[in-house]
Amino acid sequence: MNQPVVTPELQHDIEQFYYREARMLDGRQYQQWMALLTQDIAYIIPSRVNTMVNNRDRGKEEMISVERELEGVDSDGCPIREEGIAIIMMRVERAFKMNSWSENPPARTRRMVGNVEVMEQDGDNLTIYSNFHMNYARPGSRNFLYSGQRRDKLKKIEGGYQIAHREIILDYGDIDYPTLGLFF
Amino acid sequence: MTIKVKDLVNEDATLIGRKAWSDEHIYELEKKGIFGKSWLFLGHESQIKNPGDFVQAYMCETPIILARGSDDKVYANINSCSHRGVPVCRADHGNAKRFVCPYHNWSFTVEGELATIPQERELQCKPDKSQLGLKPVPRLESWKGFYFGSFDENIESLDDYLGDMKFYLGAFIDRFEGGIEFVGAPHRWVIDANWKLPMENQLGDVNHGPFLHASIVTPEANQEIIDHGLSAVTTPGHGATFRMMPEDTHPGLVAWGMESPNVMMAPPEVHQYLFDTHEKAVERVGPVRANMKGLTYGVYPNLSFLWSNASFKVSHPRGPGKVEYWSWSVVPADAPENVKKTLRNNYATFFGPGGVLEQEDSEVWMQQFHGSNFDFADDRKYFYGLGLGEEKSHPDLPGMVDVTANEHYARGFFERWRDALQAVEEE
Repeated sequence: MNQPVVTPELQHDIEQFYYREARMLDGRQYQQWMALLTQDIAYIIPSRVNTMVNNRDRGKEEMISVERELEGVDSDGCPIREEGIAIIMMRVERAFKMNSWSENPPARTRRMVGNVEVMEQDGDNLTIYSNFHMNYARPGSRNFLYSGQRRDKLKKIEGGYQIAHREIILDYGDIDYPTLGLFF
Repeated sequence: MTIKVKDLVNEDATLIGRKAWSDEHIYELEKKGIFGKSWLFLGHESQIKNPGDFVQAYMCETPIILARGSDDKVYANINSCSHRGVPVCRADHGNAKRFVCPYHNWSFTVEGELATIPQERELQCKPDKSQLGLKPVPRLESWKGFYFGSFDENIESLDDYLGDMKFYLGAFIDRFEGGIEFVGAPHRWVIDANWKLPMENQLGDVNHGPFLHASIVTPEANQEIIDHGLSAVTTPGHGATFRMMPEDTHPGLVAWGMESPNVMMAPPEVHQYLFDTHEKAVERVGPVRANMKGLTYGVYPNLSFLWSNASFKVSHPRGPGKVEYWSWSVVPADAPENVKKTLRNNYATFFGPGGVLEQEDSEVWMQQFHGSNFDFADDRKYFYGLGLGEEKSHPDLPGMVDVTANEHYARGFFERWRDALQAVEEE
């Protein structure tokens, strides 16, 4: 791992990027948001399962690690989502159709992004972790709070960044949400 | 006032009262008359290959551990300590030597026998441990690796219970030389809906596809259902929908898995695997079933199978207005890794908690519960009469068969539901 040199400017730029992204998503400006993604983006939500404690790991951090709970892309399990640009585009196009009934009327969302941390830097490629809360409200329903971590790979491009990889670690115990088919 | 079952379902089940979906007393009757007396799906052998392997399951609201014992036999026990009732297993799946209750450390073998009581060392009188194991599910049987349990000691064999559904289920399962496997822990999520609507949806309701799912499902896909779609009811309560493709159909249009958008974007070796599998289909499942392109299946009371996106689902009730929906991706066991990964994703993109089609389904299921739960409309029952009496027998296919617009699958379910509830109503 390349220890990143996190200048205040870099930190500021990345945070501004995420604020802009959150504003676009909350404002339902999905087409503009798409421009923030690389064409080969991988967008992943691992499934989070309850596992057995391995006796050999007793007393170690591995025993309680978050990683043990995740059934992601490389696991034998089934991630909740693993998508490229085509499926993301399908979801975006859907938002503009009158017959997308679960979003008609559209949900009111508000995303808060924080704990933005530059984990790794390799030339123009950055690994960034951040946390988010998203309030999700629809007519005739209670409100839902989504909480999670985003593990992103950003790519520096002319005048900004693009998201090349996003893995979302959702903090659910039981999935008591109307859908996980949203943009986090 | 207690609602009578006869006031909810009329003679030919063309009218269903709203409170069938929302009444507490009716839900109690369902637990007794349906979940206490049916075969309920617990798990698949691919999930418990080795001694000590286990998965969690539910029979209605009752938690079950399905495990492979050290003798290689499969056991199903209620996940509740015989001392104070606390669950002895908390993981979704895994491999265990013992299940240990967190409260007083009573420990149980994978087979469900009580192994140790730590407190007995200090006591004169030793309890008879042979009487204090986990409660076994009274009946446990399997068909082609699918394990089912029943609380009813006297229930017919699983084989008889499944009846001609085996013909339709086999059309999928037997296609693959190495059988199928369930992928990982189930996705399970809570929906504010009644358990019967997800079930009815999968029993045969492809009628909602072109409308509710119009934002995604293409007109071509809908036309194919109009041209070739059939709905079969083998035994009332079970159902299957599928397209019977003409014999000369191009393999790209009939081979299982090929209708997935994810497969279209996949590398050519994925297509090749699916074509190769299809080529052997006639030999493996016969000429009729080889050209079957399945849609949705339901096995009474709450197991369903979505062929087009290869997933099994169970609708676990949590009261009249809540369901814990479980679903698994299912893949051919002998497929190469990249094929399995493409296919699991064809489920998760469209169904499951993040699925783009499931979004719409759970939305209307929640709304339907609202519609069934308010007052002053009980005299306006739901209309279930589409296609009444138009189903007939078929030269090649078991059961009563008709176009998919015929709602006989739902009438069959509610006739069986009514009779099951009436049988326990006066007890």
